[in-house]
Amino acid sequence: MKSNLHLDAKGLSCPMPIVKTKKAIDTLASGEILEVQVTDKGSLADIPAWAKAGGHAILDKCEEAGVITFFIQKA
Amino acid sequence: MSNKVAIIASNGGLFDAYKVFNIATAAAASEKEVAIFFTFEGLNLIHKQGMYALPMPAGAEHYAEGFAKANVPAISQLVEMAQELGVKFIACQMTMDVMGLTTEDFIDGIEVGGAVTFLEFAKDAAPSLTF
Repeated sequence: MKSNLHLDAKGLSCPMPIVKTKKAIDTLASGEILEVQVTDKGSLADIPAWAKAGGHAILDKCEEAGVITFFIQKA
Repeated sequence: MSNKVAIIASNGGLFDAYKVFNIATAAAASEKEVAIFFTFEGLNLIHKQGMYALPMPAGAEHYAEGFAKANVPAISQLVEMAQELGVKFIACQMTMDVMGLTTEDFIDGIEVGGAVTFLEFAKDAAPSLTF
């Protein structure tokens, strides 16, 4: 999937993946897509919950070799 | 639905600091308006020097390794993030007086207030949390 911005938040623990994701999405325009990569397992639940709070859409999620990738479309 | 999160920080240990600032930054990053009322030992968490020397609970010192391994951010980093995200820090005037502290003893950008200052903010906040 194509994204407008890629964020590497691998190796960071709570709450930094959320804080970095928030900062990254602030730089995008509505409808643009942010790709976030994390290794924090808590993010599996936290990123969708965060997206719901802001009305953003999770378009795709995949997990490979311990790296979780989210594609988030800005509201 | 409330868009405010109100937090009382009344304890001054390292674990307390993580509970307070993790919830505060996560809430602020989720578009919530956040205020933290620092009272009694909680004032340690925003004390210029004290925040760098927050104690672990007795007998829990061995967790230091776990903190490093989990790559947990330093408290000073979380404080900076919280302020950048607009979290309001309110230091309790009464406790400051009791402890002989002034605004000079604390990090920049804090407000000083009393119980009513916090209550006014918290009256329509959900959740309100105490640590």
